[in-house]
This record gives sequence, C-alpha cells and structure tokens, in this order.
Amino acid sequence: MTEPVFAAHIMLATLSGAMIILFGAFYAFFFAWSRLKNSASHALLAYASYAVFAVFTLVLARALHLSGHWHILIGLILLGYWLAPYGVWRLCVSTHAHEKTQATTRTRQTRNYKFH
Amino acid sequence: MKYSKTDYSTLSPGKKLAVKYFVVAIILFGAQLLFGAIAGAQYLHPGLFYNTLDFNVVRMVHINAMVVWMLYGFIGSVYWLIEDEAQTELVGYTLGNLAFWILTLAVTVVVAVYLLVQIGPGNQLSLWLINEGREYIEAPRWADIGIVICMLIFFYNVSATFMKGRWTGIAGVLVLDLVALAGLYLAGMFYTPNISIDQYWWWVIHLWIEATWEVLVGCIMAWALMHLLGTPRRIVQTWLYIEVALMFGPGILGLGHHYFWIGTPEYWLTIGGFFSALEPIPLVAMVVHAVYDAGKHDFKNRNHPAMAWLIAHAFGNFFGAGVWGFMHTLPQINLYTHGTQWSASHGHLAFFGAYASINIAMWYIAVQKLRGDVPFDSRLPHAWRWKWALALLNIGVLGMTLALLVSGYEQSFIERAIEGSTWAGYFKAQTAKWFVQGMWWRQFFGYATIAGYLLLVWDLATIGKTVSQPASGADKLPAHQPAVSR
Ligand code: HEM
Ligand SMILES: [Fe+2]
Repeated sequence: MTEPVFAAHIMLATLSGAMIILFGAFYAFFFAWSRLKNSASHALLAYASYAVFAVFTLVLARALHLSGHWHILIGLILLGYWLAPYGVWRLCVSTHAHEKTQATTRTRQTRNYKFH
Repeated sequence: MKYSKTDYSTLSPGKKLAVKYFVVAIILFGAQLLFGAIAGAQYLHPGLFYNTLDFNVVRMVHINAMVVWMLYGFIGSVYWLIEDEAQTELVGYTLGNLAFWILTLAVTVVVAVYLLVQIGPGNQLSLWLINEGREYIEAPRWADIGIVICMLIFFYNVSATFMKGRWTGIAGVLVLDLVALAGLYLAGMFYTPNISIDQYWWWVIHLWIEATWEVLVGCIMAWALMHLLGTPRRIVQTWLYIEVALMFGPGILGLGHHYFWIGTPEYWLTIGGFFSALEPIPLVAMVVHAVYDAGKHDFKNRNHPAMAWLIAHAFGNFFGAGVWGFMHTLPQINLYTHGTQWSASHGHLAFFGAYASINIAMWYIAVQKLRGDVPFDSRLPHAWRWKWALALLNIGVLGMTLALLVSGYEQSFIERAIEGSTWAGYFKAQTAKWFVQGMWWRQFFGYATIAGYLLLVWDLATIGKTVSQPASGADKLPAHQPAVSR
C-alpha cells in the first residue's frame, strides 16, 4: 500500500508539497485579513487559496500513490489546514477581549462577521 | 542626560552572564561558517586537505560548532530575559559564571581534540576521550558529563530565580522545556554497538530541534515581542500555551520520519508520515495570529534590526521547517531524498531560519542596552551595515538552500530513482552536471553568507556608538520595563 513516487513525478511531488504549505499559509493569511477588515473580497481570496491548496493536496496524493489508509492522511491535511485558522482566530479574539482600546469595538464587529 | 556607552560593568548579573554567552556564540558562529566553507570547497576540490583535515572531521566541526553556538545563544538569551521576567536579580551568578568557564574550556578542548587527534581505535577510550561518533552530538563522553552538569546549573539558576521572584506563564513553559531539554541530553549518552538500534538516538536530535528548541524560541519570541513592541502579556502568554500544545502534538511522533529506513517495522512509515505531515500546521496557523496582532495594534519599535531579525525568524521557520520539511517528509518520496543534499538543503534553511535568526535578534536587543538604550530606528547612523548584514546572511543561506535543492534533486533522481542506490549510481550522480553546478553555487552563496557574518560582527561592535542621546524619550519606551537592570 506504500508505493514510492515514480521517478518522473519527483519534481511534481516536490512542487505540490511546497505549494500545499504556501497556499495553506495564504489561506490562513487572507482568512485572518478578511475577518480583521470585515472584507468579503479577502474572504474570496481565502477561499481561492484554499481551493488551490486542496488541488495541490490531491495532486500530491496522486503523485505519491497515496491509497488505502493514506487516504486518511489526505483527509486530515484537508481538514487540519481548514480548521486551524478558525481555532487560532478564536483564541486571538478571546485573549484580546479585555483590552481597553478601540480594538475592542473592532473585535466585536469582526466577531459578528460570518466566515463560512 | 548622560548615557553610558558599552558599559558592561553596570549590567545586572544575569545580563553580564548573557553577554559572555553571546560573545562565545558569535565566535563559534564564525567557526561554523569557516568550517562550512572548507567542507563545501572539499566537494569542489576533493584533494583539499586530504589526510590532514578530512571531510568527515571538517563537517563534524561545522555541525557541532553550530549546535553549540545556538545552545550558547539560547542560554545567553534566557539569562538576558530572566531578570526582567522574574522581576528580581539572578540567583546563582557565581555558579553560573563557573559553569560558563567550565563549558567554554570543555568546548575548546573538544574542538582541539577533534582537530589535532581526530580519530582513535574503535574502543571505549576513544569514546570517552575523542568522539562518541553520533552525528550532531559527537562530543566525547567526558564532555557530555560536563555539559550535563552545566545544564543542571543553568536549570537551577533559572528555576531558583523564578522561585525567588515572579512566576509567569513564560517562566512555567521555560522551566518545563528545560527539564525536557536536560532529559534529552542525558538520553543522548545512551550507547549500543548495534548500529541499527543506535539509530534510535535520532529521536534525541529530532526532539531537540522540532520540539524543545521550538518551544524555547517560542518563549524568547514572546518575551522579545513584549520587550520590543509592548505586546500585552496576556496575548503572548496564551499564544505560547497553544504553541506548546501544537508543537508537542504532531512534533513528538513526527520523529518517525527518521525511522523510515533504519530497519524498523513498517508501521513507522505510517506513524512518521502522518505525524510529520501535520507538523507544519502550527507554523501555518501562526500566520493568523501575526495578522491579527499586526492589524490590532499600532506598534512602536525602537530596535529595527532586532525586529527585522524576528521577522526573518518567522519566515525562516515557516519556509525552512514548514515548506522544506514537508516536501520530503512522506516516505513515498523520502525513499529517494533520504540522506542526500536535499536533507542538507532543508537542514540549512531550517536551522538558520528558525534558530540563527532569533539569536541574532537577541544580540541586537543586548547590544542596544550596552549602548545606553539609544534608539535603533530610522535615525540610526550607518544603518546600511545591519541592513546589508541581514540581506547578505539571508540571501546567502537561501541561495545555498536552493543550490543544495538542485543538487539534491539530481542526486535523488539519478543515484536513487534511476540507478537504484548502487555504488556506480552514487558516482554518476556526484559527477552529474547539475549536481556539480549546484555545489558551485552553494559555495558562492556560502561566501556571501560569510560576508554577511563579517558585516554583522562589525555592526554589533559599532552600532549606536556615535548616537549620544535617546531621541525618543523614556515615555516612548515599551510598557514593559526591566526592574533590576540598571
Ligand atoms: C526548525 C525546525 C527544524 C530543523 C532545525 C530541522 C533540521 C533538520 C536537519 C539538520 C536534518 C538533517 C538530518 C541529517 O543529518 O540527516 C533534517 C532532516 C529532516 N527533517 Fe527537519 N528540521 C526541522 C523541522 C522539520 C519539520 C517541521 C519537518 C516535517 C514537516 C522536517 C522533516 C525532516 C525530514 C523528513 C528529514 C529527513 C530525514 C531523512 O531523510 O533522513 N523537519 N531536519
Ligand atoms: Fe525530524
């Protein structure tokens, strides 16, 4: 069930590996930005980044012949990168809740803003 | 107002010790680069120093100098911040000073033996006196024991100081992390003549760099952000806890990526692959926090070089550990990349990006204090020096990383995938055009790195010396103020 990559696909696997992390970070970046600025266009960029991230995850899965129980890993990657920014965002908001700056009001606004 | 310049004698005890550790760290950093340059040159001219200073010795000094200078840097950083954090003077200065000299003497003797004696017969005596033979922790057994004693003293000083003063969240994480770190040093002394079983020692190295060191720099980063930007404690502290959880989460079993090909049962492919593939998630999730904080606060910052190096740390950690780590961490591809220049590519960017950078940031924080707390901001004269040092060091290491990746790709492809790891395949790859070119570029960027280092040393020695007044008044200082350092 664990088959090595084909020689011809080493480059592809490398590139998609790098792209996964990069676009995972872009997604996290635009996710945070869209919530911070209450901006729908940045939310779109976040979705787009996640889509590219997901495509490269599937490309990597193909290139590395991920099958059988390795499918679970693909699921974990897709889920983990999707959810981690939500968790960190919540944490940020709650740790800032008691700050007495105008940031507080902004925090409340952004809290109401729904990011699906 | 009168400002004392470079007045070491007025520093508090902890900061005095810190400066000593920093100075040795900077010297060993230079040694690391020098021996790196020789090792790189030996790839290009295999006859260089043949039978005098062979590649294995040169590489060993290169790597050990790095591990040790970073350790010095971290110990120094903790001594630097502990009094501010605990709000009291360091406990155990004399002991700490003694440990510093013992450690430094031991390091000097070990390096001298590496260079002058180099090898010995395969018996216990060599193990005790010359070299333990384990990559990254080659120090002979006597030095191991010395290092452990020094670490215990360090640990005592740190916990006693926190006990006497104030116990904070950072303190808790730091002390726990040092326990783990000391435990790893003890484990590193375990020895078995069975090479396959002995390969398990890698968990020591992996857990150092991917768990305990990562948490340690988390503590330093948290303190530095409070110090430089005045980020509220609540934020950095809560953040630190989650970081610890995340790092120790996938980080521990991620060590399985070192157990793929050492004769362990096949389930290690799954354990190592799964956990280490998830290791970059915390690094990626940190982006959210960085954006949040940058957007919420209007930060004033009086130490631009230190801040620039902290940013370099964030990016370096992300690319070196996250991107470069993930690229080769699944066994399906690691089968080909394992132990090639590809590993070296990742190793260079990760160590420099994650750990060299934050140490350099701490040096700038320390040197600012030594120059009488003058602002290191846009009005700083000769600012080109720190900027060019930053640029040359980062471009140099990034250039080496990319060059090594090209060579590593070529090696994985030709030697491993095409030729099936044969003896002939090895040489075919080593002489392949792209491989060789990659090694030349690595050498070129290595020299750029050295140029950056020299500039850095010059800058640290001179920065702020001609500034005579604190252009920003004391009121603009970050909220956090050291209690004891005068
Ligand atoms: C700052 C953190 C890190 C540092 C300093 C670091 C450093 C290193 C070094 C020096 C090596 C070469 C070891 C040797 O001599 O063979 C290495 C190997 C490796 N690292 Fe990292 N690393 C870090 C984080 C990561 C992360 C997060 C991952 C996974 C996503 C990772 C995956 C790997 C893999 C797969 C190998 C190669 C194993 C092999 O093929 O032998 N590293 N690392
Ligand atoms: Fe590792």
